[in-house]
Formats: sequence, C-alpha cells, structure tokens
Amino acid sequence: MKKLFIFCLFFYSGIATAVLEVTILKRAENAFPIVIAPFEVVGNAEQGKAIAKIMSDNLNRSGRFNASSAMSVFHSEDDINFKAWQANNTEALVFGKVEQVSKTIFNVWVYLYDTYSKKRLYADKFAVHNSGIRRISHFLSDQIYDALLGERGSFDTRLAYVTVFNLADGRREYRLEISDSDAQNAQAILKSNEPILSPAWSPDQRKIAYVHFRNARSEVFIQYPFERRKTHKLPVFDGIASSPSWHPNGKSLLLTLSKNGNKDIYSYDIQTKSVTRITKDPGIDTEASYSADGKRIVFTSNRSGQVQVYIKNLSTNKVSRATFEGKYNSKAVFSPNGKQLALVHRVDKDYRIALLDIATRDLTVLTNNKLDESPYFSPNGGMIIFATNNDDSGVLSVVSIIGGQAFELASKKGEVREPNWSHYLK
Amino acid sequence: MLFRVLLLAVMVAVLSSCSNATDDIGDKVESLFKQVTGQPEVVEVEDRTISSSESVSSSSDANSSTEESIVLADNSAYSSEGVSASESTNSESSSSESSPSSESSSSSESSSSSESSSSSESSSSQTSSSSSEAEESQVAIIEKSPLEGLSESGVSFTLYFAYDGYDIDDETTKQIIAHANFMRDNSGYRLRLEGHADERGTREYNLALGENRALSVKDVLGLYELASRIDVVSYGEEKPISTDHNESAWKQNRRVEFIYESN
Repeated sequence: MKKLFIFCLFFYSGIATAVLEVTILKRAENAFPIVIAPFEVVGNAEQGKAIAKIMSDNLNRSGRFNASSAMSVFHSEDDINFKAWQANNTEALVFGKVEQVSKTIFNVWVYLYDTYSKKRLYADKFAVHNSGIRRISHFLSDQIYDALLGERGSFDTRLAYVTVFNLADGRREYRLEISDSDAQNAQAILKSNEPILSPAWSPDQRKIAYVHFRNARSEVFIQYPFERRKTHKLPVFDGIASSPSWHPNGKSLLLTLSKNGNKDIYSYDIQTKSVTRITKDPGIDTEASYSADGKRIVFTSNRSGQVQVYIKNLSTNKVSRATFEGKYNSKAVFSPNGKQLALVHRVDKDYRIALLDIATRDLTVLTNNKLDESPYFSPNGGMIIFATNNDDSGVLSVVSIIGGQAFELASKKGEVREPNWSHYLK
Repeated sequence: MLFRVLLLAVMVAVLSSCSNATDDIGDKVESLFKQVTGQPEVVEVEDRTISSSESVSSSSDANSSTEESIVLADNSAYSSEGVSASESTNSESSSSESSPSSESSSSSESSSSSESSSSSESSSSQTSSSSSEAEESQVAIIEKSPLEGLSESGVSFTLYFAYDGYDIDDETTKQIIAHANFMRDNSGYRLRLEGHADERGTREYNLALGENRALSVKDVLGLYELASRIDVVSYGEEKPISTDHNESAWKQNRRVEFIYESN
C-alpha cells in the first residue's frame, strides 16, 4: 500500500516563467501527515493540475506538514478507503476538481477529510480566473493549515527581494522583484544599474519602501506596485537616508539618517513629512524595525564598540541591549508575537541566522552558511526567510521554526538578496 | 566621470609604488604642486619623471591620457608649445629629470643622478611596448591637468581601512594631507569621497560603516577648512573592487575613494 504514494520532492516549476527554483534541504519529522490527491480536471483545465502541487509544496515548506500526493484522482468521498489511509498513518486527505467554465474562467472545488473521524473538515467552491490559479492555491493552503492546526497560514502573501545580474558590459543590473510566498510568479517592478536595497512591504501591502542609489546616493523611495501612481521619493536629508521599515499603522517609517554624519534612527511621518529622532548616540544606529504592536523598536548599534542589537521601549524610552552572545549581531526583526528576534549572528568568521528569545536571552543558530543576511518572519511567525551566499551566488532560503525545515529558493542567473515578507493580503 | 575612470586607472598603478611612501611625501607633494600650478613650463620637467614611471602602468593609462589630450586639444597655442618642449625633453631622454616621483615611491631621496639610472632601467625593463607608448604619454603630458599631477605624484586616491573600522592612521593621514594641499592650491575642484565596505555583515550596517569611513577622511580635510567643497557618499558593500570571498578581496573593498570634480 505504501508504494501507492509518491513523495513529491520536486517543486513545481512549470507555470509562467519561473525565475526561482526551490530545493528542500531538510525534512521535518513529526510533521502532520497529509495526502493531497491530484485534482480532477474537467474540460481544458490543465492549469488546474498545479493546484495540488502548489498546496503540497506550501504545506511541506511550513515544516508543520508532511504532504504527499496520491496515485489516483478522487471524485467523491466514496472513493476514499479510510482504513487504508489510517493504516498508512495519513491523518488528512485533500481532493478536488477543476472545471473549465469559459476560456479563462474555472470552477474549483476542494474537500478536506479527517481519515480517522471520516469527517469533512473543509469544503468550498470558487470561480477562478486563469490568472488566479496560483492565488487560489495559496488561499486553499491557508484554509487547510487553519482547519487542521487552528492557526493562520502564511501562504497567501507576497515576497519582495532584490536580484542582481552581471551584464555583459561589466555593469550590474539590480531588480526589485515581488513574488508569491513561494517565490513563484515573480515580477520585476524596478530595474536599475544602481544599487537597490532594503525593500519593505507596507502593512496594507500596497506600497514598497526601498533604498535606491538612482541619484548616486542612498535615498528612500516608496513605490506602488499595483497602482498607476508615481514612485514617491522621500525628502532629501543631509547624508545617507536608508533602512526604511514601516510602522504597523502604515503612517510612518523608521529611517536611518545621518544628519551631521551621526547615524541615528528617526521616524518619518508620511503625511506631515516631519522627522522625529528616536535614538541619539555617537555610534552607528541603523536597521531599525517595529514590534507588531508598535510599542518597541529593535535596531543595530555599535555603541558598545561591537555591533550588537538593542531594543528601545517607546513608552518608557528605555534602551536595552538584547544580544550578548557573540561579537556581531545585527539586522534583527521581532517575531509577530514580539517574544523573539530573528537576527544575523556571527559565528567565528561566518554570518548566520539565529533566533533569540528576548526574555531568556537564549540564542539558537538556525543556519549553517557563510554569509547569511536579512532574516524576516512570515506573517504567522512560523517561518523565517533570509538571503545567503552559496557557491558564489546569492539565494533565498526559508527555514521553519517548528521542525527546522529549510528550503532554498535559488536564483538560476544571479544573486538574490534581502527578502521581505508581506503582511496578509486583504 | 571621465576623471573618475582616469583616476581609478592611474590610482591602481600608483598605489603599489606609493605604499611605502616616506614621511616627507606630503611636503613634497605640496611643493610639487605649487610648481605645477604656478609655472606651467615646469610641468614638462615633472612629466619626464612621470612618463618613465607611468609607463610602468598599463596601456589603459596611455589610452586615457590620450583621451585627455583630445579633450584639451583646443588649447592650440599652449599645446603646440608644449609639444615642442616635450619632444626636446624626450630626445634628452629620461636621464636627469626622471627622479622625483620614482624616488618618492622608492623612499629615500638621494642624489638624482644615481637614482635616475635605476629608474630609467626600471622603465625600460617594464615598458615592453616601449617607444610608441612613451610617445603617446609624451603627447598627453603636455596638457596635463593639476589633477593628473596629483595622481602621478604617488598620492593614493584610495585609502583602506581595517575590518569594521573607520579610524585614520598616521600613514593615511599623510595621504589625506597631500590631498588637502592639492585642494587648497586648486580651488576649482570639488571632492567626492565614496565610502565602501566589504561584504561581511549586513548591508545597511555596511552602508553606515562606509559613510563613517568617508566622514573620517572628511574630518581630516576639514582641519584645512575644505569641508564645504567635499561631498560624502557611501555605497556600503554594493560596489566592491573584488567580488571574491576572501581576506585579500575584503581588504581591497574596505576603502574610501577620492573623486575630484572640476567646478
């Protein structure tokens, strides 16, 4: 019976022009065993075959599931041999149907069953445009995640990141790209021969703030990827302006400004264009970001003589050092629940991603590479995406908090840098 | 932009020779450039040294200097005069005048005659393409700008820093002082200081680090009341000289570049 199941370790790469390729590095044990059967296809609806694959890949990447496919298509509940699935230790089963309605419109049905209780846990039907097949797959992944774990998934979300290509004439091309949460469906929203840094999704996911050297200096821009609206440049400040990150209310940005040469953290109000200083120290303060409740900021500073991570409580104005292990800790971000930090931690000569429990100061190194950078939590806190340096090219990787499952999203052509995970789509 | 390309090319060539520069290099550079700017005809004398030492550098140097000559070719009176002068010095060959810059790079300053033989030796041995290239550089020399003089004097246009450091040591200070003297004597130039970092650590921190490096240099120049003519930018780790992942690459990338722009 076991031979019936094919464990799908190869990620989907067919639809559209996929830039990134996903590779599984580690597989979690004790993950929730689930089978996602191939969807029944009615009419000319080959695109629908991708749905099961995308869902399976999503669930595996979360580290919470061990998803596999089935040999056969299920048409209804009657096709399920519950005892056989129980014997195979499969706890949940997903099947569905895609039917072509018109040239570009499809109906999608999906069902989720508990193989032990034999109960239907989730069922729904959608009319989907051809272009929405991937989106519905991510949405359904979130539904299954929620139905089985009672938690929100992070699949129907987007990434922003920077890719870099070496051109034949010796120049480099920088691209600001956005993609689905699995790094598929990527589109470049900005191309430039000058560096692009630090993309950050706004909380409403309509805007991306980033640093661009368009004018031969670091300036912060806000772009509207889904609107016919001009990219907005923040006022020119004295010295560098960089490291933008959004307040959870979307009304202001944290920036690093070097007024009079001293790099400190400032808050920039988008409406009033006023600037408020948040840190004041002769050393370098940078890489600031808010906690989800907006009450604290975390930032990098060399005020101790070493590069370390600090937290400022905005209600008490108290600054406290957060990292004590190692000589170099930087670019920290709060986990969505505010209890942990993901950060870059130097181990001997290597820079790796680590997870810090703020209260206990326990530091767990999550990665095993030489040059890891820019960790960022998925919206539900279950995964951390980061950029790393692997075989002379930059790659995106994802590591799950539970299960420690790591995935690589590798660029075939150039480097990939500084991933930023959006909030939930609205 | 032309300057930038030119300077980077020259810089690389000059760098190796000036690494063990002597204590008095700053003073020497200062005096050299007072001469250069004050009396154009002295330029040819200095140029002799340069042509011999410059010929060491790559052919791209020769190319860029010929480009420069094209740009300045309109200045007919000066250039024709210069050509004849330089040709005459050329025929005299690189015996007597070939000393100063090669000396300053080879540390101890002694009698020019003894030094000249060694420098001419080195130039002849190192210039494989020899005569045609020498002629090219001769032509270029005529229209030499003060900035070329600075680059040819052995002053470095790139300063290097320690890991995660932005302190200025004594040797670096001397280099900066040479630039300060140049700026003081050539008020037509603005200076753009570009700070850079190696790839280790996070990009935003490195952006800040690169600016601190450039600001450290600016601080020294500020002592000469030049701050208003200086622009500071940082590229962090985004524009490495070497893209390798080892200490020798990182060393080259932790730097501040001097880029002059004429007003």
